[in-house]
Order: sequence, then structure tokens, then C-alpha cells
Amino acid sequence: MDSGTLSGLITAAFIVVFIGIVWWAYSKGNKQRFEEDARLPFEDDDDRPAKQGDKQ
Amino acid sequence: MEATTYNYKVVRQFAIMTVVWGIVGMLVGVILASQLIWPDLTFGIEWLSYGRLRPLHTNAVIFAFGGSAMFAVSYYIVQRTCQVRLWAEKLAAFTFWGWTAVIVLAAITLPMGITSSKEYAELEWPIDLLIAVVWVSYALVFFGTIIKRKTKHIYVSNWFFGAYILVIALLHIVNSAELPWILGGSTSAWYKSYSAYAGVQDAMVQWWYGHNAVGFFLTTAFLGMMYYFIPKQAGRPIYSYRLSVVHFWSLNFIYMWAGPHHLQYTALPDWAQSLGMVFSLMLLAPSWGGMMNGIMTLSGAWHKLRTDPILKFMVTALSFYGMSTFEGPMMSIKTVNALSHYTEWTIGHVHSGALGWVAMITIGSMYYLIPRLFGRESMWSTKLIEWHFWLSTIGVVLYIASMWIAGVAQGLMWRAANPDGTLTYSFAQVVATMHPFYGIRLMGGSLFLSGMLMMAFNVWQTVRAGRVVNDAPIPQAVHA
Repeated sequence: MDSGTLSGLITAAFIVVFIGIVWWAYSKGNKQRFEEDARLPFEDDDDRPAKQGDKQ
Repeated sequence: MEATTYNYKVVRQFAIMTVVWGIVGMLVGVILASQLIWPDLTFGIEWLSYGRLRPLHTNAVIFAFGGSAMFAVSYYIVQRTCQVRLWAEKLAAFTFWGWTAVIVLAAITLPMGITSSKEYAELEWPIDLLIAVVWVSYALVFFGTIIKRKTKHIYVSNWFFGAYILVIALLHIVNSAELPWILGGSTSAWYKSYSAYAGVQDAMVQWWYGHNAVGFFLTTAFLGMMYYFIPKQAGRPIYSYRLSVVHFWSLNFIYMWAGPHHLQYTALPDWAQSLGMVFSLMLLAPSWGGMMNGIMTLSGAWHKLRTDPILKFMVTALSFYGMSTFEGPMMSIKTVNALSHYTEWTIGHVHSGALGWVAMITIGSMYYLIPRLFGRESMWSTKLIEWHFWLSTIGVVLYIASMWIAGVAQGLMWRAANPDGTLTYSFAQVVATMHPFYGIRLMGGSLFLSGMLMMAFNVWQTVRAGRVVNDAPIPQAVHA
């Protein structure tokens, strides 16, 4: 395998991984946890904000 | 026994030095802008000549001002979002003194004319080694703190900081591969070195470094800052956390390959130039996604913008981020680059990003952070922050608008040719045309600097009336 084919395969693999990340980030099952994660900076303060999270 | 408080000492040290180095770096910038108008300003003293002060300016604003700000906020945010005290605190203290030593050494060697002549990597090998040691210590402290965190999730800001720390280590070590002259038997200038790369490879390594220093030092790191301080100051979580995840990964996948756009129409192979252009164009997507994520965080709280100058700083920073990340990809297009490259337009673009985005998000974050480090609810004077905001905004606008006009005029005049093929304008004619624009730029830069002086006064008053906070409690109940 020459270096051109190898770079092509790596690029393709990266694209697949990236699409996987997008799918994971936006999958229904993870909606709740990401909304909770977004509140992490407010966990240790008394200035708790109004609920906002992702808009649908 | 487990620690019950956060380490604010190192955060405080870096935060104060951010303001100090900001003033120093920007003052050198104002001197340089004046030298372009009045070349004899520094009486021909070689240590103060333009060529020696210019790298001092860039190193001071990027690594001293920007670097200190990043150390401060990353140490603050990683502790508060991991809900643990810093790991290896002595090492953290070393990063402060080590980084400060690097800055002082830079301030001595650059005016002496000691330089490796690589842009943004001018420092010679002994200092390069010190930077590497400090940076590895920084990585240990940061990732050590992440590892011992009490929260389950790693907040998005920390992902951005982690990428920045890793990539800067990689860039610095690869680009600084150099052969000290002393190994060749010379003892006359033991500090001198030559790059391990030659010719076009050297140029490509340099701009892979140079552009990713912009990408990971001045962008990724400050986005981490944005993802914490905008939600905190606005009092609401980030608009879309899921978008921030995609923002992070897309930025990382794309940024690394944009460097060749600094070498359009050079000896670099054509395909590499095109690759750099295409990746630069793709960068528009994550950049604008991130910008909108930050701005939309204020949806439902827009009224706060009217009264809160700290939020004004942060949102204006995002607007400049949006503008400069639109302008950048455009300038990487070969035909645009043919006009813009080597002109003042590039200087305008850089300052739209550096003053508009990096400095303004830093200033806003420092106004949030500093009172909290000194046991006060807010800065000494909010009115002064408001003044600072307007001075900075008007200053940046004057700076970039004058440089756009100057740059386009410069590019057009350079390429203008008579029917017989000779150049229409001599080089000196083009220089003369720049004169009024240099004046406007100096005005803009001076306004920005005067805003920084106001900040220093405000910080001084805040610190004087405050107390050193070393007892900020770590919450005991863990939710996320």
C-alpha cells in the first residue's frame, strides 16, 4: 500500500469517527445527560440559573 | 486529609500578571506603531529598533498576556468544574515562576537581537528548553487535576484546555528542533542555534507551528474561557452543550491542516497550498457554530447587555471572533491572498482577532475573576469598566478599519502595471500612501492601551479594598 492510499484510508476513518461523534452528541438518549453536564459550572454556587439547555 | 479549599494563589498571581503584561505588550505595540510614522523616534538606539521590538511585542501579547491569562483561568476553571484542589501544587507554583522567567528572558534577549528568526518562536534554545519544562509541568498539573476530579463529567472548557496544552507541547517541541552552534565547536555565541529543517520544509514546519499557535493558543484556549465565563456572567448554561461537543471535535479535526495558507504562491508544492486553503475554508463551520453557541446563551437575557459591561466585553469579543474567522478563510483563498498577502490587511486581520477576540474575552473574564480572588462581589468601579469597554471597541474598530483600507490600497498599488510592463508605483510612493492610515492605527492602539491603564487602576483599587481569598470551599455534595 502506498502512502497515498494510506492517507486516503485515514481520512475516511476520521470522517467516520467524526460522524460518529455528531451522532453520539445529538442522539436522543444523551439529551438529558448533556443538559445536566451544561449545569456543571453552577453546581458549586448559590447563583443557580434558570433552566435552559438545548432548544429543540 | 482531603483538601477542603481551592488553590487560588497561583490563579491570583497569573491574573495580576495578565494585566501587567497586557500593558507592557500593548505599550510596545504603540511604540512600534509610532516608529512606522516617525522612524527616528528611538534615536537609532539598536536595542529599540523596530526589528528587535516587533518580536518583543508579539511574544509579550501572545505568551505573556495571553499565556498568563490562560494559566489563570485554566487553573481556576479546572478546579471549580472538577471540584478538587489542584494536583501537585508545588509544580503549579513552578509554572508561575518558570513562565515569568521565560517572559523576563524574552524581554532581555529579544532587544539584544538574540533570535532564532522563526516568527512567534524567536526565543533561542536555552529558553526553548525552559519553556518545554514549564509546559510539561503545566500539563502534569492540569491533567493530574482532571484525573483526581470528583465530578463524573469533564466540563467542555477543560476539553478545550486539554487540547490546547497537548497541541502547544507538540508544536513547540517539533518547531523548536534546532542545533545549538556550540555543538559545532563555537564558543563565541553559545546561545545561537539553527533550525533542524531546511528550505521549504523549514517554512512548512514553521507555519504549521505558526498557524496552530493561532489555532490552539489564541482560539481553542480562549474558547475554553468563553464556555465557562459567558454562562457564569449571563447566569445561564451554555445554549447547546451538544453543539459545544461537536464544536470541539470539528475544530480539532480541521485546524491542524490550515497552516499552508501562510505560504500561498511560494515554493511550497501547489497541492499543499490548495489543501491549506480548503481546510481554512472548512474552519468557518466550527468557528461560527461556536460563536453562535456563545451568543445564543444570552437568549432570554439580552436585557443584561444594556447594563452589564462585562457581558458587553464578552459578547463583543464573540462578534470579533465571528468577523475574524470569516475574514481568515476568505484571505486564505489564493486569489484573495494574492492581493492581501504581505500587506497591512494581514495586520488588520490579526488585530481583529487578537484585540477584538482574545484581549476582549480575556478582559471580560478578568473582570469576573479578579474580584472573586480578592473576596469582593464586583470590581471597584463598574463605570470604569464601561469606559474601558467603549475605549477598547472604538480602538479596535479604528485599528482594523484603517489597516483594511491601507492593505487593499497597498496590494492594488503594488500590482498596478503600465502597458509596457513596468510598475506604476515605486515602493516609496506606496509607503507614503500608508502614512495617514498609520496615524489612525496609532490612535486606535493608544485608545486600547489607555483602556488597559484604566483596568490596572480599577484592579489596584479592587485589590486594595479586598482580601486575599484562600478559603474558597470545595462543595461536598457532588451532583454531576
